[in-house]
Amino acid sequence: MKKLLALSMFILMLLFLAACGGDDTSSEGDNAGEDDTSSEESSGDESSSEGDGEWAPSESIEIVAPAGAGGGWDTTARMSAQVLNEEGIIEQDMGVVNKEGAGGAVGWAYMAEQAGSNHNLFVSSSPILLVPLNGQSEYGHEDFTPIANVIADYGAFAVRDDAEWDNLNELFEDMKEDPQSVTVVGTSSPGSMDHIQFVRFAKAAGVDITKIKYVSAPDAGGITQLLNGSADVFSTGVAEVVEQARAGEIRVLAVTSEERLEGETLSTFPTAMEQGIDESFINWRGFFGPKDMDPAAVEYYEAKFKELSDSGAFADVRSNYGWNEMFMGSEEYQEFLDQEKEALKGLLDELGLTAE
Amino acid sequence: MGSIEGILTGFQVAFSIEGVLFVLLGVFVGTFIGMLPGLGPISAIAIMIPITYGMEPTLALVMMAGVYYGAVFGGSTSSILLNAPGISGTVASSFDGYPMAQQGKAGKALAIAALSSFAGGTVSVVLLMIFAPMLANVAISFGPPAYFALMLLGLTAIASLSEGSTIKALISAVVGFMVATIGIDPQTGTARFTFGSTNLLDGIDFLVIALGLFAIAEVCYLVMNRHKSLGGSGKDIGSLKLSKEDAKEMSGPIGRHSILGFILGILPGAGATIASFISYITEKRISKNPDKFGKGYVKGLAAPETSNNAATSGAFVPLLSLGIPGSGTTAVMLGAFLVLGLQPGPMLMGDEPEVFWGIIASMYIGNIFLLILNLPLIPYIARILTIPRPLLISLVIMFSLIGVYAISFSVFDLYLLLAFGVLGFLMRMFAFPAPPFILAFILGGMMEQSFRQSMTISDGNISIFFESNISLVLIILSALSLSFPILKNIWAKKKA
Repeated sequence: MKKLLALSMFILMLLFLAACGGDDTSSEGDNAGEDDTSSEESSGDESSSEGDGEWAPSESIEIVAPAGAGGGWDTTARMSAQVLNEEGIIEQDMGVVNKEGAGGAVGWAYMAEQAGSNHNLFVSSSPILLVPLNGQSEYGHEDFTPIANVIADYGAFAVRDDAEWDNLNELFEDMKEDPQSVTVVGTSSPGSMDHIQFVRFAKAAGVDITKIKYVSAPDAGGITQLLNGSADVFSTGVAEVVEQARAGEIRVLAVTSEERLEGETLSTFPTAMEQGIDESFINWRGFFGPKDMDPAAVEYYEAKFKELSDSGAFADVRSNYGWNEMFMGSEEYQEFLDQEKEALKGLLDELGLTAE
Repeated sequence: MGSIEGILTGFQVAFSIEGVLFVLLGVFVGTFIGMLPGLGPISAIAIMIPITYGMEPTLALVMMAGVYYGAVFGGSTSSILLNAPGISGTVASSFDGYPMAQQGKAGKALAIAALSSFAGGTVSVVLLMIFAPMLANVAISFGPPAYFALMLLGLTAIASLSEGSTIKALISAVVGFMVATIGIDPQTGTARFTFGSTNLLDGIDFLVIALGLFAIAEVCYLVMNRHKSLGGSGKDIGSLKLSKEDAKEMSGPIGRHSILGFILGILPGAGATIASFISYITEKRISKNPDKFGKGYVKGLAAPETSNNAATSGAFVPLLSLGIPGSGTTAVMLGAFLVLGLQPGPMLMGDEPEVFWGIIASMYIGNIFLLILNLPLIPYIARILTIPRPLLISLVIMFSLIGVYAISFSVFDLYLLLAFGVLGFLMRMFAFPAPPFILAFILGGMMEQSFRQSMTISDGNISIFFESNISLVLIILSALSLSFPILKNIWAKKKA
């Protein structure tokens, strides 16, 4: 009797698990299935679409966020998929899959395997240029098909409220005299976005960039180290500093956009340009397809993302998350990426951070 | 007094019918997912995020918070019964919990875990409520040198975590350190020991190692020794009742570690895992009977269980008051805030008092629910042990595989899990203790980074570790901790 009870108890638990596990893994499981079928079917799609040039997805679309849940790439992927479906811009189901790891390299390696598929997209931003330059990813933007850029984010340079510098020029004047006297903190490794955006402005101001002291403090470490005085300047995304600035704990010396941003607190942040430093940095964010995507499919997605970008629903999303609109079509995007990569490569070469 | 009004608003939210219902739902889901080996609060919260779309933000967050501490509460079950940690914060609970269950006292072990968790959770919520506004400063008071010193203090305990050969414990710890260096080095961006594989670029997840070294290794051991009956029948659940003595033994660790765990939880990056280890070690250090630890000692289970739950409340301090997520789980929570249109940060308490205080107040109810939910279930849950061993072993393997796969949906991790299982089994055969390996792995990565951050800041000047008061005190404590056993020996000899 006891045994029977125990067994039934356990079967119950198993059933629960199956249900829970199903929830958790179903997107994954489905996708694994999709991958198989999509690679088989995609060849068929291409032949059918070649004739008329009109292409439409024939199965559900997978969007890969090459990062964990909750980050910028993940949110962009999820919110875009939601609006595309809810507004009826794309009828086919869109599933978001997180392929987390190595600053995106894990997700890109996965996407490289999807070459030729017309039903796999992914989200990326500046790291897809920087990470390969650092030698941490085999694949760069050249290995994929840029479809459309949709969002722009900007960086910010913040100091503690009681810091001695009132503006960016004062900071850079001090750094010109002794670059080592200032510790810059960011949340990613040297040669990645937080570091490079600061270097870019410092170089424009005439600081010896090879001597800048940069500390990488992953996750929450950046703001913590700024607040407790371990570091002097925090180089990060503008969204990360708004709340602390509003509370009067820190001051934003400059944002990296060309013009002031909109928003109650955001509009109080000066740009570097208005302080006489002629430089800007956009953390663009957009969608890519795998290599050898059918041009008709690229055209299809490009038009749909344009529609997304213009929709009122997505405008609400943008304002919720503090993103800016920045649409570029496939060709323009490709050119922009090539140029941007050249510029970044120059900086990394000078810092000695480029991988051989 | 704005904050008293705030607290009252918070209680109003938490005690409303919807509030109570969502807390109940949250802790139920959380405690259940936590019980499954490998599935922890991160997966639990990530699953819940889509459900909260369009919900009233306070209620949604009250529920998610419930999932979080519920998972930590439930996480000890599989550590104790199967030696397969449900979440990383409960690895230390298996050190004494599993032996206790093997001795036929599974019911008692689970009851101790539940009561300690409840106490740790409740005391820390009281602390959270009283000190939350002031604690923001504590959260950021630790610079890189202080973190390094804290990790150093944790490491001095390696010797005390071992049974028998200290040399073997140290070898085990060194290997743990080496494994911790796998992946991209944040300070230079260089990939280390990845052998060109993208799978290793992010390093190895803690759970892969914990489940491998503990659960899979234990399974191998059980299979190898299948004809021997292992101390006690393993089938007795034993009584749930705690003797007066047990209660007395528990009260000390509960008092100490609800405070210690809370403080460690506040520090971004430290979190429940490190808190539970440090509590276990501290308890063993100050105990009069250090020999009893690791063999099913009440204090050895109560300490980490109190601490990991207290740390969970602590982790809300930097999240709510600064907008700084201190751990992977709170980072996902932060994402949940943003999805709901709220921005945690220094202004949250003033702008949205009902959210801020509502979450905190709901934790009182949540912890009571957890106790009511868990205690009556213990006899049934403990019956897992009466499952015939071949079936049980297969289930442990299956759950471990599911748990590891759920971390990043990578098949590669499954091979790693098996590799660490084999390693753990070999270590056990040759009497190398696994806890020092795990401890070195947890502390190693953070210790290395904070050391190198300090060195960058100070231009390579070691004196930076003695400049801040916090790190100075911690370093002195480390030195004491190392020399204490030696001094004790000398003392004993002099007396004799």
